[in-house]
Amino acid sequence: MSWVVLTMLVVPFAAAVTTLFFGHRADVAARGIAVGGSFTTLALASVVAAAHLGDAEPLAEVYVATASTLPPIELAVYVDPLSAVLLILVGVVAFLVQVYSLGYLAGDPRYPSYAALVSIFTGAMVAVVVADDLWVLLVGWELMGACSYFLISHHWELAEARSGAVKAFLMTRTADLGLLFAILVLGERFDSYRISTVMAAVTDQALPRDELWLPAVLVAIAVMGKSAQFPFHTWLPDAMPGPTPISALIHAATMVAAGVFLVARVYPLFLSAPVALTLLALTAAVTMFISALYALVTDDLKRVLAWSTVSQLAYMFGALAVGAWPAAVLLLLAHGAFKALLFLSAGSVVHAVGGSTSMTEMGGLRTKLPDTFATMTIGFAALAGVAPLVGFFAKDAVIAGALEGAQHGRLVWPWVAWLLLVSMVLTALLTVAYSLRAWLLVFFGSVDEADERDVHESPPSMRVPLYLLAVPTVLGGLVVADPAALFGPAYDVELFHVAESIVMTLLVAVAAVVVLLVWRARGRAMWPRVVLPHPPIDRVYELAIVRPVRWLAQLVRAGDRDVIDGYADGAGASARGIGGLLRLAQTGNVQTYLVVVVVGAAAVAVLAGAVA
Amino acid sequence: MNALVLNGLVAAPVVMAAMAMLVGRRGRAGVGVAAFGGLVVLAWSVWAVVVSTTALDGSHVDVAWVEAVGIRWHLGLDGISAPLVLMSTVVFACALIALVRNAPEGGGTTALAVLLLVIEAGVLGSFLALDLVLFFAFFEVALIPMWFVIDRWGDAHGPRGEALRRRAATRFLVFTVLGSALMLVGFVLVRAEAGTFDIVEIAASYQPSGATALAAAVLVALGLAVKTPLWPLHIWLPDAHSKAPTVGSVVLAAVLLKLGTYGFLRFWLPVVDPGWEWLQPVVAGLAVVGIVYAALACLAQTDLKRLIAYSSVGHMGFVVLAATTFTLGGVQAAVYASVAHGIITGLLFFLVGAVKDRYGTGDLGRLRALYGQVPRLGGLVAFAAMASLGLPGLAGFWGEMLAIRSAVFPDGSLPRETFVLLAVIAAFGVILASAYFLAMIRSAFQSGETGAAPPEPVVRGDVTAWEWLTWSPLVAATLVFGVAPGLLLTPVAEATVAFLGGLR
Repeated sequence: MSWVVLTMLVVPFAAAVTTLFFGHRADVAARGIAVGGSFTTLALASVVAAAHLGDAEPLAEVYVATASTLPPIELAVYVDPLSAVLLILVGVVAFLVQVYSLGYLAGDPRYPSYAALVSIFTGAMVAVVVADDLWVLLVGWELMGACSYFLISHHWELAEARSGAVKAFLMTRTADLGLLFAILVLGERFDSYRISTVMAAVTDQALPRDELWLPAVLVAIAVMGKSAQFPFHTWLPDAMPGPTPISALIHAATMVAAGVFLVARVYPLFLSAPVALTLLALTAAVTMFISALYALVTDDLKRVLAWSTVSQLAYMFGALAVGAWPAAVLLLLAHGAFKALLFLSAGSVVHAVGGSTSMTEMGGLRTKLPDTFATMTIGFAALAGVAPLVGFFAKDAVIAGALEGAQHGRLVWPWVAWLLLVSMVLTALLTVAYSLRAWLLVFFGSVDEADERDVHESPPSMRVPLYLLAVPTVLGGLVVADPAALFGPAYDVELFHVAESIVMTLLVAVAAVVVLLVWRARGRAMWPRVVLPHPPIDRVYELAIVRPVRWLAQLVRAGDRDVIDGYADGAGASARGIGGLLRLAQTGNVQTYLVVVVVGAAAVAVLAGAVA
Repeated sequence: MNALVLNGLVAAPVVMAAMAMLVGRRGRAGVGVAAFGGLVVLAWSVWAVVVSTTALDGSHVDVAWVEAVGIRWHLGLDGISAPLVLMSTVVFACALIALVRNAPEGGGTTALAVLLLVIEAGVLGSFLALDLVLFFAFFEVALIPMWFVIDRWGDAHGPRGEALRRRAATRFLVFTVLGSALMLVGFVLVRAEAGTFDIVEIAASYQPSGATALAAAVLVALGLAVKTPLWPLHIWLPDAHSKAPTVGSVVLAAVLLKLGTYGFLRFWLPVVDPGWEWLQPVVAGLAVVGIVYAALACLAQTDLKRLIAYSSVGHMGFVVLAATTFTLGGVQAAVYASVAHGIITGLLFFLVGAVKDRYGTGDLGRLRALYGQVPRLGGLVAFAAMASLGLPGLAGFWGEMLAIRSAVFPDGSLPRETFVLLAVIAAFGVILASAYFLAMIRSAFQSGETGAAPPEPVVRGDVTAWEWLTWSPLVAATLVFGVAPGLLLTPVAEATVAFLGGLR
C-alpha cells in the first residue's frame, strides 16, 4: 500500500511535467495527459482511501530520512480516515475540474500550462493530506499558494487578475510564516518533525493547559491566512478573476480547504492550547457574519460564492473551536461537494452569457439553461441548509456542536461559544437570503438584453460534472447515520439532532419567505447595499503596510545612489592611483594581463612574507 | 586521494585556457575549445569529489611553497567545499557553452572564454586551499580577470555607457582588492596568534582570545564582508553585476560571491570565539539589515539586471546570518543557501540576459507583456523567481529555512533573544522578496491592456535549443535540490563535524 501512496504523490507531478513537454505540440496530448493523470490520481486515491476508512489501522511510512539534521527531515506519509476522506474529495473534485476544463477552456492557447498547474495543484494538496512530516506538509502548502498565484493570473491581461494573484500570494505567504515558525518550535520541543509522533506526544504527556500556546497560535495564524479568515479574508474574493474551474478547485478541495484540514490534523495541539481555539472561535464568529453580509450585497455571482466560502469556512473553524471535530470535517466534505457544484454551475452560466460574471446581466436563465438550473438549484439549496441535502445535515451538526460547547464545553469560555452560536444562527439566515437572492437574480425575472443574446447550454464535458457533483450533494447526508464507518469508532458520535434541525428548518423557511416577499415587492433591486463593496481592512493594509514599504523602497534606492555612492566614489578617488596603474597595463592583449596577474600574486606572496 | 586529482583540478582550467588561446589565434574555434574545457573541468571535479572523502582525512596535498614564512601549497576537498566546487564547475561549463552561440558585443569572444577559465582556476583554488595565504592568492587570481571582463565586454548602452561600465569595473576592483588587503592583514595577525597559516591546524587547536585575536577576526570579517557582500559594503555589487556581460554576471553572482561565504565558513569561524560579546551579533545584524535593505532596493529598481543583482545581497545575508550562529545547522544552511543561490541566480542572470538580448533593454518601464511574446522564456523566469523567493520544494527554500532555524536556536553562548528577533526580521525579508519578484513579473511579463505595446524585439523567437541546453542543468538542479535536501545536508554535516568539531 505504501507504494500506492508514493505513486499517488508522484503521478500528478509527472502528468504536469509531461503536459509541459508535449502539450504545446498537440492539443489532444495535453488534454489526454491532463484528464488521464487526474483520473489515475483519483483511482489511486480511491484505493488508498478505501483501505483506510473506518476502523482500519492508519498507514505510517517513512521513505527517505535526512539523518544529518536534528531532528531529521523525512519523506513520511500517514494515512488515517481523515486523510482518506480528504483524498476522495481532492481526487473527485480535481478530476471533474479537469474534465470540465476541456469544455470551459476549449481553444485557449494557454491550456497546456493551465492543465499542468492544475495537476501540480492537485499533487500539492495530496501531499498536504498524506504528509506525516511537517516539512513535506509545508512544501505542499506553499506550492498550492504558488499554483493559485499562477492560475488566478491566467488572464494576465486583466488588471484585476494580476493584482488579485499577487494579493493572494503575498497575503497567504505572510500568514504561512506562522506555520514555518510553528514547525521550528514543535520540532525543537518534541525532537521530531513527524506529525504523528508530535501529536502522540502532545496527547500522552498531559501537558499543562496552554503550554503549547505559541505553536498553536502560530498554526492558527497560518490557517487563517490560507482559509481567508479575518483579517486575511479579502484575498479570496479578489481571486475571482481566475478561470471559474480554478475557483471550484481552490474553494472546494484545495488551498482554503487545507487550512481546515490542518487544524483537524493537528487537533491534539489545539486541544492542549485552548487559547488558540479561542482565537479561532472569535475569528470565525466575526468572519462568518461579515462575509455573509458581503455576499448579500454583491452583484458579482462569483464574488457571492467566494464570500460564501469564507463564511462556510468560518463555520468549520467555529466547529473545531468548540470541539465538534466530526461536524467540522463533515461540513468540509459537504462544502467541498456543493461548492464545487456551485462554482462549476456558475462557470456554466458565465460561459453561457459570454463571460460576464455580473448578475445584473443575467436573469431568466432557467429555461435556457435547464441542466445548469437544476444542478445549481441543488447547490444553492445545500448551501442554504435545506433539508435533506448534505448542507442541512452538516450545518445542523455544527450548530448542535456549538450549542453543546456553549452549555457544557470546557475548551473555550462559555461566552465565546455563545457568541459563536449566535453568529452561526444569524449567518445561517443571511446564507438563506444571499443564496436565494443569487438564485433569483440568475434564473428568474428577465433582463431585456439577455433575451436577445444567443444564450446556450454548455457542452457535455461541462454538464456531466455538474450532475456527478449533485449526487453527493443530495445523498451525502446519509453519512450522519453512521459516522463511525467513515471516521472510525473514536468518532462514533451523534451527528443528527432532531430539536436543533427542526428549529433551523423553521428559521430557514421564515428567512426564505421573507426574501421571496421582498422579491415580490421590489423586484431585482431587492435591498440596498448596507456595506462597502470593498472591505475597509484593505485600506488599512494599503496605508499601514504597502505605502510605507514603497516609501522605504524609494528611500533605500535614493540612499544607495546618493549616500553610499558618495563614500564609494571617495574611496574610488583615493584609489585612482591603482586604477591608473591597471589601465596602463591594459594594452590590449591577454598575455600581458596574465603576466600582470601572476606578478601580482607573487608580489602579494612576498608582501605577506615581509609583514610576517 | 593523490596530488594529481587536486593539483589537476586547479591546473585543468589553466591548461584548457592555454589551449583555447593557441587555437583561438585562428578564428572562433577557441571558444569551442574553451567550452570543451569547461566540460573537462566539470568531469574532473566530479572525479575529484567521488574519490575524496567527506571529511578531511589527511590525504590532501601539502608541500612547502614560500618556506621562509611558512606558506604552504595545501589543498584539500571535503564535504564543505565539494558542493561549492561542483556548483562552480557546472555554472562555468554552462557559461562557456553559452558563449559558443551567444557572443557578447565587443568581439574577442575567445579572450573572454580564456579569462573565464582563468577565473575558474582561481575559484577552484580558493575552494581547495587550506592555507590562509594560498586562499588569499587564489582569491586574487579570480578577481583580476573579472575586472577585464566587466571593463571590456560590459554593457555600454545608454548615455555615458562606456564611463559607467568603467566605473563599475574599477569600483569592483578597488573594493575587492581593498577588502582582500584587510583580510590579508587579518590572516597575518592570525598567524601571529596561532603560529601557522594552516587552517586545519587552526580549526583544531587555535583558541582565539585577547585583543589581537579579536582584531584579526574583525579584519578577516571585513575583507569577507566586502566580497560576500554584507551591507553596507555591497555598493560595488549592483553596478558590477548589472554592467557585466551575461556570462560575467552569471559567474560573478553564482560563483564569486561564494568565495566570500565560503571564506566565512572555512576561514572565519575557526578564528572566532563564540563567546565574544558583540562580533557575531553585529555581523548577523548587518546580514539581516542587508536582507531587508536589498529587498526594499529591489522593490524600487527599474532595471531587470540591477534587480537580480540586489536580490543577491539579500540571499547572501541569509548565508552570513546562518554562519554567525555557530551551529552545525548554520553551516549546513550556509552551504545549502550558497549552492542554491549559485544555481538559481545563475539561471536568473542567464534569463534576464536573454531578455536583454532580445529586446535590447532591461528597463522595467519599457518591457511589458512578455508572457505573450516569449511564453517559454517568461515561464522560466517565473520558475526561477519562485525558486529565488524561497518556494518550498525548490532549491532556494531549504537554505533559507535552515538559516532561520539556526538563528532561532543559535549557539548557547550567543544572545538568543537577539538572534530570534533577527530570524523573524529575516523571515519578513522573504515576504518582501516575494513582493519584488511578483512586481517584476507583473510589470515586465504580464500587463498589456493599458495600450502601450510591448517593445519591438531586436532578436525574435522564444528560447532556442542552445539556450535550453545551457539552462536545463540549472533548472534540473533547482528541482533536485528542492526535493532532496539530504543530498547536500549529509556530507556538509560530516565535514563540518570533522573540521570544526563540537558544534551543536
